[in-house]
Amino acid sequence: METLMVDRVQNSLRFFMHRNAIFLCERLCAEFPTEINLQLLATCYLQNGKAYCAYQILKGTSMPHSRYLFAMSCFQMNLLQEAEAALCPANEPNVEVPDGAAGHYLLGLIYRYMGRQALAIEHLMQALTLDPLLWAAYDELCVLGAIEEANDYFSDMAAQRIQQQYLSESSSLNSSNGSEFYNLSSNMAVTSVDSIPRQSKQLGNNTREIASLPLSVMIAKVPASNSGSSNFSQYITPPAATQLSGVAPPPLCRNVHVSFNVANNDVSTKLNNIAVQAPRRKVLDEGKLRKVSGRLFSDSVPRRSTRLSAEAIAVASSNATQVIGNGNGHTSTKFLGGFSSSSSSKVNAASSRSLTFRKGHSWISENFDEGRRSEAFDDSRMENMATTSSSTSMSGDSRYLEQGKAIGDLAQDSRLINGAQELLCLLRTLGEGYRLSCSYRCQEALDVYLKLSEKQFNTGWVLSQVGKIHFELVNYFEADHFFDLARRVSPSILESMDIYSTVLYHMKEEMKLSYLAKELLSVDRLSPQAWCALGNCYSLQKDHETALKNFQRAVQLDSRFVYAHTLCGHEYVELEDFENGIKCYQSALQIDQRHYNSWYGLGVVYLRQEKFKFAEHHLHKAYNINPRSSVLMCYLGMTQHALQRNEDALEMIERAISADKQNPLPVYQKAIILVSLECYDEALNELEQLKESAPHESCVYALMGKIYKRFEMHEKAMLCFGLALDLKPPAADVATIKAAMEKLYLPDEMDDTL
Amino acid sequence: MSRVWTRDRRVVTAGGRQAAMATELDGEEETAAAAGKLTGSPQLSVEDDLREMAKNAAWSVSSYKPGNNVLSLRDDNLDTYWQSDGAQPHLVNIQFQKKVKLQLVILYVDFKLDESYTPSKISIRAGDGFHNLKEIKTVELMKPVGWVHISLSGNDPRETFINTFMLQVAILSNHLNGRDTHIRQIKIYGPRPNPVPLQPFHFTSQEFISYSTIR
Repeated sequence: METLMVDRVQNSLRFFMHRNAIFLCERLCAEFPTEINLQLLATCYLQNGKAYCAYQILKGTSMPHSRYLFAMSCFQMNLLQEAEAALCPANEPNVEVPDGAAGHYLLGLIYRYMGRQALAIEHLMQALTLDPLLWAAYDELCVLGAIEEANDYFSDMAAQRIQQQYLSESSSLNSSNGSEFYNLSSNMAVTSVDSIPRQSKQLGNNTREIASLPLSVMIAKVPASNSGSSNFSQYITPPAATQLSGVAPPPLCRNVHVSFNVANNDVSTKLNNIAVQAPRRKVLDEGKLRKVSGRLFSDSVPRRSTRLSAEAIAVASSNATQVIGNGNGHTSTKFLGGFSSSSSSKVNAASSRSLTFRKGHSWISENFDEGRRSEAFDDSRMENMATTSSSTSMSGDSRYLEQGKAIGDLAQDSRLINGAQELLCLLRTLGEGYRLSCSYRCQEALDVYLKLSEKQFNTGWVLSQVGKIHFELVNYFEADHFFDLARRVSPSILESMDIYSTVLYHMKEEMKLSYLAKELLSVDRLSPQAWCALGNCYSLQKDHETALKNFQRAVQLDSRFVYAHTLCGHEYVELEDFENGIKCYQSALQIDQRHYNSWYGLGVVYLRQEKFKFAEHHLHKAYNINPRSSVLMCYLGMTQHALQRNEDALEMIERAISADKQNPLPVYQKAIILVSLECYDEALNELEQLKESAPHESCVYALMGKIYKRFEMHEKAMLCFGLALDLKPPAADVATIKAAMEKLYLPDEMDDTL
Repeated sequence: MSRVWTRDRRVVTAGGRQAAMATELDGEEETAAAAGKLTGSPQLSVEDDLREMAKNAAWSVSSYKPGNNVLSLRDDNLDTYWQSDGAQPHLVNIQFQKKVKLQLVILYVDFKLDESYTPSKISIRAGDGFHNLKEIKTVELMKPVGWVHISLSGNDPRETFINTFMLQVAILSNHLNGRDTHIRQIKIYGPRPNPVPLQPFHFTSQEFISYSTIR
């Protein structure tokens, strides 16, 4: 009965019948309250977004995977202390972190949100070392500013490591029909589904189990190298159980499962549990892969994607088989963890909102959280690797089975290395680009991204990254162009769309911005990006209170979404509520210390309050994070000028001018400083230059008028003031300029209204 | 003008303002405008470069009837009103935390609903506090319905704004010699601050504005 129940639960999960799954699983746990079953129940809950339920049932469990699941639920419920305690119990300091790379990654995230950066970095590095393909960990490290050189992480050594892990697993299999299973698994394809059962029957080894696909091969392996069923639970504690995105598996896998069920009935319950859990993982993995392939090859035939994902199943199942057969379980478990963790953990890292959101959506939806895209790339590469490794084998799979297995092995190995290297090469490029853009070395990042192949470049993630880079370079036109392209390539992309809305805000494109906001809302009403876009829309229309409300909604939807906090801060400052503004900026900085916009925001608040020292400190922090922003340098210069440190100010302004030739502001600031230093001629020079580059700027003429007045060149001054007025400055300026015009023929007043 | 006059006479005496409001108001406005009196418009129209200034100010009144206190002046609800309860002049005091530039005072009054409670003569005073308020503007209203815009600017372009700590709106007399007054809403407008700090002038061109802030 237990087997049957477990199977039905698996099935229900696969088909999103969550209520069914939960109900049956609860019955299962009531009837057979083993920890494995509890894990399954927790998985059901987590998949359904009920982290609190999972939390309840897993409290106090001690198996590594249970602890991982427990930590996951704590993390989602924002109980970071407990999550940490689960993964790293205080009274057992040297205990291995469960689930290898996934566990380290989760721990890294926990520490990051607790604000313990050093520990976070350490664990994320560890995760990346254990699983070089764990892009999500790399992503986090970049955001934390801890990556120096992408090459280190996606190096050939990593390829070696991957190969070794694969090899060690396959070699242990070799001890008992390992290779054939490996071949089997890699040979799996839609077309060969039917053939395989037949072939496996030929192998004549626990035929009932092998009757289905490689998945069941795993079960067959169990008796073969069984050293006690308890071991398996340890090895196979499937990270997959933490797969949080329910993705519909392709029909292929269903077949697998169906035949699998048949095989199950004879085997012991424990083994079945194990076996059942593993295929689920693969199903989910491959479902995710399907998602990826759907996105990458957006107009591809579904058949192809199923085929590709089928190949992924092959790889996945080969992992599984290897895990079971492997004596030194740890490395392989870690690898296993690594493989699926690249899929699962990033999902875990995604906010819980994505859980609730994803439930209803089609598997082809593009709503990725940050890094998921990259994780998807990750998977797609794995998938391609599987493709490369099995492409030849597919064509002649029956032949393989009959031929010498050694040959197949060798071919697999070399293909594996090639595949790994290809994947690592791609990840290296992406990683380098991403790292550079996180350190705001924008031009270099752009060059790196341009090295990508066209297929890779024309994807939502890359295009929006390029858009972001242009945004940082203040090239709003190009940014607009790239973001638009990204939206065309993947119409329901949400990540980075908040940046796109800011671009449109800067460009004052009201129509486009409101359209974007509407579109984003229709894609996902519960995404913070959509509300940020809507808030930007209202802010552009100067309706700051509504904008604030919208940004606060975004914060409510995802309190770990940094930009929403920063935008709230901006709105408060517009409303002149500096206290709340400061609070918002500080909460943004708690989440992400390297969010230089918040440091800048704080600096501006203090500038407005005329607390220049504070302002300089905060602007300097922003500048340290992003030393290439000419706007930041300009502000720093302005602040230093206000602090009467004019040499420093001028130096900073010069740097700003050279950093971005298109930026007229530093030149204008330079003129202001020069005027205050009474170097009127030089100031005039600068302003003349500005006249060329920004001919419709009223303040340039106004300042020139002031200077001419100082020189007592009254006609010129009048002319300039007249021009300034023609350019329709706001009423306050009109008043000032007209006042200046009136007093033109009067001697200068002592208080310089400049 | 004469056409308007005749329309006026017919309508005003009856007191039944069933005819098109626009024509009535036109007529009223013409007469009132001729006499320099304000009548109020149905729309609140403020330039884009002005913003409401008194959200963080301290509002107080010289007297009020319970249930119609000063909060009704700021609740954005035109159905609630402040009713005074004492001797004239009735005062609404607005004290700011720091000196602010103000350009416009806008009141919502309704002769049709309030009749003898509607203010007819209003004086606006400004200063540092109660001790040195000085009158800066006096206006007369003629049966106003709607938002009455009172500009604080002088004729000199230098005097577009007044820079003050405190503003006092004094109701000197009401229509039909009413004792107490009803005001339904008051808004105070001043210039927007420069979004870029430490600048002598605002930026007007797209080139400057797009580089002027980080968002």
